[in-house]
Amino acid sequence: MLEKLEEVKKNIHSEIKSVTALKDAEQLKIKYLGRKGIIQDFMKLIPSLPAEQRAAIGLRINSLKTEVANIVDELLKRFSGEITSKATHEIFDVTLPGKRPLVGKKHPLTQTIDDIKEVFARLGFDVVYGPEVESEYYNFEALNIPADHPSRTDFDTFYIKNDMLLRSQTSTVQIRVMEKQKPPIRIIAPGRVYRPDTVDARHSFMFHQAEGLLVDEGVSFADLRGVLNQFIKTYFGQDVHVRFRPSFFPFTEPSAEVDISCSLCKGKGCSVCSYSGWVEILGAGMVDPNVFKAVHYDAEKYTGFAFGIGVERITMLKYGINDIRLFYENDIRFLSQF
Amino acid sequence: MKISYNWLKEYVNFYLSAQELADKLANAGLVVADIQSVEDDFCLDVEVTSNRPDCLGVIGIAREVAAVVGAGVQFPETNYTSADIEVSKLISIAVEEPILCPHYTARVVRHITVKPSPEWMQKRLKCIGLRPVNNIVDITNYVMMETGQPLHAFDLDKLSDQKIIVRRAKSGEEIVAINGARRALFHDMLVIADGKRPVAIAGIMGGKDTEVSESTRHILLECAQFEPRQVRRTSKATGIASDSSYRFERAVDPEGVELASKRAVKLIKDFAEGEVAHGVIDIRSGKYEKKRITLRIERLNKVLGLEIKRTIASDILKRLQFNILNEVETGFKPVSTFIDVEVPSYRGDVYREIDLIEEIARIYGYNNIPTKTSISVRGSVKSKYEIVEDAVRQFLIGIGFYEAKTFSIVDTSPLQSVNLWSDRVGIDIANPLRQEESRLRTCLLPSLIRAKIYNMNHGVEQVRIFEIAKVYLAGEKLPEEKTCLSILADMDYLTLKGIVESLLVSLGITSKCEWVTFAGSILFKADKSTKIQLGNNILGYMGEAKELEFKTSSCMVELDLDLLVKMSNFAKYFQTLSQFPPVLRDLAIIVDEGVAWASIEKCIAAANISFMTAINFFDIYRGKQIPSGKKSIAFNLCFQSSDRTLKSEEVDVAQQMILDSLYKTLGAELRKQCKIL
Repeated sequence: MLEKLEEVKKNIHSEIKSVTALKDAEQLKIKYLGRKGIIQDFMKLIPSLPAEQRAAIGLRINSLKTEVANIVDELLKRFSGEITSKATHEIFDVTLPGKRPLVGKKHPLTQTIDDIKEVFARLGFDVVYGPEVESEYYNFEALNIPADHPSRTDFDTFYIKNDMLLRSQTSTVQIRVMEKQKPPIRIIAPGRVYRPDTVDARHSFMFHQAEGLLVDEGVSFADLRGVLNQFIKTYFGQDVHVRFRPSFFPFTEPSAEVDISCSLCKGKGCSVCSYSGWVEILGAGMVDPNVFKAVHYDAEKYTGFAFGIGVERITMLKYGINDIRLFYENDIRFLSQF
Repeated sequence: MKISYNWLKEYVNFYLSAQELADKLANAGLVVADIQSVEDDFCLDVEVTSNRPDCLGVIGIAREVAAVVGAGVQFPETNYTSADIEVSKLISIAVEEPILCPHYTARVVRHITVKPSPEWMQKRLKCIGLRPVNNIVDITNYVMMETGQPLHAFDLDKLSDQKIIVRRAKSGEEIVAINGARRALFHDMLVIADGKRPVAIAGIMGGKDTEVSESTRHILLECAQFEPRQVRRTSKATGIASDSSYRFERAVDPEGVELASKRAVKLIKDFAEGEVAHGVIDIRSGKYEKKRITLRIERLNKVLGLEIKRTIASDILKRLQFNILNEVETGFKPVSTFIDVEVPSYRGDVYREIDLIEEIARIYGYNNIPTKTSISVRGSVKSKYEIVEDAVRQFLIGIGFYEAKTFSIVDTSPLQSVNLWSDRVGIDIANPLRQEESRLRTCLLPSLIRAKIYNMNHGVEQVRIFEIAKVYLAGEKLPEEKTCLSILADMDYLTLKGIVESLLVSLGITSKCEWVTFAGSILFKADKSTKIQLGNNILGYMGEAKELEFKTSSCMVELDLDLLVKMSNFAKYFQTLSQFPPVLRDLAIIVDEGVAWASIEKCIAAANISFMTAINFFDIYRGKQIPSGKKSIAFNLCFQSSDRTLKSEEVDVAQQMILDSLYKTLGAELRKQCKIL
């Protein structure tokens, strides 16, 4: 009896190899597991066995039945795919595009301002804002730009009426903060500024600046270099070269303009950098003692530095945007790129 | 300022190509914006900042080059021979305004030959973009470009009464300038006059009548100094600007008149023949005294973050022609801690210790100053405004909105003049560039409509945009700058309203808004427009856009962001989650068409059922089974207790109380009801 069961086991394993389609598997199932199948035949023999053998043989038959059932199930599963496709003529296409949710974007200028805020917040700078409609005092006089002075030529301004104007720089916020607060001061002041420039690819009558100011005891030009270096390398990448150049702003002394190596030509010279290999990105300097005088700070005790970043300018350089007007047209095809 | 490379080499020795020179100058503060090759020469376009008028002449640039490369400066030849006749016999000069004209000199050259200037001079002038005229005009231009000191030559025969008076213009006087411009003159303008009339606008431009021409035989050469502010104001008022006014506005070297005048006369003698009258008429008020400044070495190092010794500092100052007054260590007291210097006359920008520090930094090299990488610790906390602004942006971009940025200055059309926040008109710009940008906006929505149209015209049909920016509302003195959040979206009213409601929830604003019918703006369709009231304040305005050009129906909202900041609340407290099942009751009631959902909601809330947790509107129906003039409103009520399972009977009682109240207050009748447990 036991040998016969072993033989059945061997047979079934050899028959599996000849199963090539669903109908073969079904036939196999009927042959072994059907009501008149081979296993059932064995079952029928059990009552005729000696009583002491029945339990053991019964167990062996059952285990064989489980084994065969598993094999047949596996075969049925393997070949049933064929039957489904034939029945419905439909295949799920996993390469179809996914259903995307609508996702918007922050304006690229906001992204840049956020980047600026992020770097300087880590260095302990608070974000502050100031009014856009200003007096001559905050826009000029307190910043050491006297009336009828040629330096005013660099700051053409929209006027509203006498002594009321649209700020032409965010440096106004320096004065407003220092009037209210005593050192130490660390602020970053982003915002809109206005200058009567005819609009073209490089000019706009409205643009954004981010002003920075740090005042404390013992602040030096070396600190200014360190802080700006940190910002520039974070924003433009660690491999960018930075150059400080003497310049003139009425509200800083010494004053500097800061250039970075042209990202387009890698410093070799191209039309973007006027073949100099450098592009200017910001103005900076040590706060002029006359500005401290205007806010009643002791210029002997405190020193500080200030800088002004052109937000459009650095955004254009970073992303290779060639026309400033794109920022204000709000074409979704533009906005969705950043 | 444009300079010629070859011309520069005449005053200073250097062995640098034009490009190398440009790099060196940039590092010292003079940016060369452009280099053009002109025949065998180069024209360098040097950007001279307004504090450095001393660099508005080739000699000035040469001084900078000399300081950078460590060379000396060679000054041009000024010696000439003069005739016996005294200049004072030929002309008399009176300066009536010594403050506006602190220094006036005149020299006379007679029997000159007016002809083209020598070829080398023409070449240099052409190289820097000046048009050669004749030898006299060219020489005055040449010397101005060389020294930075403007000069003017008058035709002596055309000056009435052999007289020059430096005075204010009289009312009714006018002048035709050399460039042909006729200008009325006023009392606040300074002129150079002869015995009868103005012959030049002081420091700005000479008059046509007395200019040097082919027939000129004798000339008066003016070399003077004029007060910068006066020149600037007059140049602005007359609309005439010149190379001369440009230099006077920025202040010329108070000691520079002598060199320029003699240099010009020498060149005139050489290249226009002529006979130089002996001497000069020189009228000067006061005597120029050189400034003295003390520089503390400790301060220098403190400001720059350096540790340099006195010798390095004094060496740099010497290269810049500053006179060191405490040169060596005399006696026993060391002078290593400070330097006393005398500032050259042409460096008007240097008058404080900090200015000397900049000079040293500049020549030492900004890029040789260390980069300090440590900074003291200071905590920075985000302001509530920033938190809210960030939260609003994140919320909106997360549901598919793009952030727009539009101009604050707009036109004065009725659309752009919309003002939802105040009755006053917008604030006008006094000096606009164009009508299109002449007024500060009072509403952001018209700009968003423009952005929508722009996108539509460029094939983008579906637009969802928002902007956070200021509107400018006229006040008693300074305008109020109100920060607004405006949204425009191609979606229906209720969808956008839902977005606003969710936004408020995300900012922790739990107080209920009142949405009041509002028909006061041309922006919105009158029947689908609302004012949003939050407590006692107006939060904003919303409605369906009335713009006819839109293919899609757009809705817009403008909110007071400052109010959102004020009302926002990010404090959060955990609420225990109820262990007991909620009971939902779906109801439909029939009410008059005019009954608003808000009043139904209010009425239900007024029943004050402690275990009612939510009222959810889900449908409105008008049709066959509903009488005309009525509507059916379906909603569900949610009941749940945190401490027990509610019994069906007590919910029934509560529901009946609500229905009774709805009937009494609004005449609402129950249409149908289904129980969901």
